Amino acid sequence: MNSSYLLRRIGYGLVLMLCVVILNFLLIRLAPGDPAMVIAGEMGGATEEMLESIREEYGLNKPVLTQLAIYVGNVARGDLGQSFFFDQPVASLIAQRVGPTILLVIVAQVLSIVIGVVLGVLAARKPNGLMSGFVSVFATIGYAVPVFWTGIMLIILFASILPIFPVEGMQSVRLRDAGPLAKALDIAHHLVLPAFTLAIIYLAQYARLSRASMLEVLGSDYIRTARAKGASQRSVLFKHALRNAALPILTVAGLQFGNLISGALLVETVFNWPGMGRLAFDSILRRDYPTIMGVLFFASAMVVVANLLTDLSYRLADPRLRGK
Amino acid sequence: MALLEIENLNVTFNTRHGKVTALDSVSMHVNAGETLGVVGESGCGKSITALSVMGLIPMPPGRIAGGEIRLNGENLVTASDARMRQLRGAEVAMIFQEPMTSLNPVFTVGDQIAEAIMLHQNVSADRAFKDAVALLDRVGIPSPDSRARNYPHQLSGGMRQRVMIAMAVSCRPKVLIADEPTTALDVTVQAQIFDLLNEIQRDFGAAIIMITHDMGAISEMADRVAVMYAGRVIEEARADDVLDTPQHPYARGLISCIPALGKDDTELREIPGVVPPLHMLGAGCAFADRCDYAQERCRREKPALVNHGHHPAACHAVEEGRI
Ligand SMILES: Nc1ncnc2c1ncn2[C@@H]1O[C@H](COP(=O)(O)OP(=O)(O)OP(=O)(O)O)[C@@H](O)[C@H]1O
Ligand SMILES: [Mg+2]
Repeated sequence: MNSSYLLRRIGYGLVLMLCVVILNFLLIRLAPGDPAMVIAGEMGGATEEMLESIREEYGLNKPVLTQLAIYVGNVARGDLGQSFFFDQPVASLIAQRVGPTILLVIVAQVLSIVIGVVLGVLAARKPNGLMSGFVSVFATIGYAVPVFWTGIMLIILFASILPIFPVEGMQSVRLRDAGPLAKALDIAHHLVLPAFTLAIIYLAQYARLSRASMLEVLGSDYIRTARAKGASQRSVLFKHALRNAALPILTVAGLQFGNLISGALLVETVFNWPGMGRLAFDSILRRDYPTIMGVLFFASAMVVVANLLTDLSYRLADPRLRGK
Repeated sequence: MALLEIENLNVTFNTRHGKVTALDSVSMHVNAGETLGVVGESGCGKSITALSVMGLIPMPPGRIAGGEIRLNGENLVTASDARMRQLRGAEVAMIFQEPMTSLNPVFTVGDQIAEAIMLHQNVSADRAFKDAVALLDRVGIPSPDSRARNYPHQLSGGMRQRVMIAMAVSCRPKVLIADEPTTALDVTVQAQIFDLLNEIQRDFGAAIIMITHDMGAISEMADRVAVMYAGRVIEEARADDVLDTPQHPYARGLISCIPALGKDDTELREIPGVVPPLHMLGAGCAFADRCDYAQERCRREKPALVNHGHHPAACHAVEEGRI
């Protein structure tokens, strides 16, 4: 992989982030009414000094382009503004909540890819078999059912019928003074239901995609070559075929990352998971614009980083793209 | 007993036209150290014969409906999957028609050859890779050390076919099947690959089944020839005999189509008509519709592969002395 490609990709990412920032900026200008009022939120309690300090901070009495420059400069310095509802800088609000969201999103992503791919590979072994039918039906259902419904169903199931997983929050209060291992296990325990709820939609899609991708790869000449060497069925499936079938799965995984983050927003709300989703939900309800903008900015940054990583891993996985 | 004997092999496929017979009582054999040429037009069942020996017929839709394939007397048709995996690559190996797509794009060629070695020999990964490099050298790939670390897309078609050959001979198989190994390559490379196969045979003593539609390749490579048409062997004899005195009208046609070298008359001739699709095969001889000698009996009754004086040919006209 050459470094000029890497630099170019990072450049694209930065340009994209700049676009998001400009969009954020426009969001406030396009909202009806006095921007200062909008930023202060419709809490009704915005005093004249408050509005004045907002006008000062955002330079609302200066020309629009100057305002944009100030705003971009603020964001670049890590200053995402002040939440009037939470009465805290937005950056620190996000910093407190970004960890749980990243944890949830990554665990859900890994779960859905691993389980989905295994199901897809098993289904591809016998394209007309039982497993194949199961994957198709499951994929359709998983895709059609809204994530909050799955979440609520799981809550009902596990809260009342089979109470083995906690259905709310991320940590148990009684373990506040426990050791790090006990705490980690406790978080993992809390993570099970939200992660599965989030994973299920994508899992179904990965299963269907990897089934199709595997079927195509299994028909190719180099698979016949592998068999002609005397390779075992397992080696043919998981070594020779999957390495090739994984390429389109990787692409989709990268593209899904954005959806996964917006899915996390809903799941966090359902399971009261203390992440950015809750923050977004609360700030939207309160029309806390600086926070909404901050969350938007941060979610976009996560998507851009994820896409960059996907692109790089794609190049690592496919030797034909290396050095190009 | 020949090294490899195929006897009355029947292979069928389920297609949307119903069940079709791709191989109809195919028999042929090859002795140790010998080269058997298998010729015939596209679709006549050459690759299916080869894949049957390898145990690689896609099932479904394919099925071996009858017959035996014996390697050193052991029937491969009834052998277990595990046994076939032991034999594939070790005792019988195959070089495929499509060098461009027959190597796995995500592994280096050295690793792919080393894998074949490790599957059948109890050696370390290091040792296997060193052997792979030596094999690449043996098949005439320059700077084999660095080439072994290349991916298939970094190699030309001719080089990829050399890699396939290196892989196929890596465990010194007793039978090497080369399925049109040069069709996809240009003419100068073709000659090099044939030379290489001849050398390899001399060094390793393998029996070669050489599948081709190129009669020129047959005259250079083969000791004996089986001519196939629409899923049947219609003539079988020593290569010289088939080339000098072809019996079956189809074999005669094939041989008259070889452009004479060094002459101006290089205009390509061909046998008029096409091979009938498998689901349209009737009760009689499949060649009857294209044959100048066809009579009513030819359309009614399939001729058997029998020696009518010179060497075995499946033709009523030959039997009746009409040609
Ligand atoms: N998977 C399949 N399903 C149905 N029919 C098949 C299948 N594979 C092969 N056949 C049929 O079997 C017949 C023999 O095919 P085969 O590949 O052996 O031909 P061939 O002699 O190798 O031709 P070519 O010179 O083009 O390689 C063809 O008519 C083909 O239609
Ligand atoms: Mg073929």
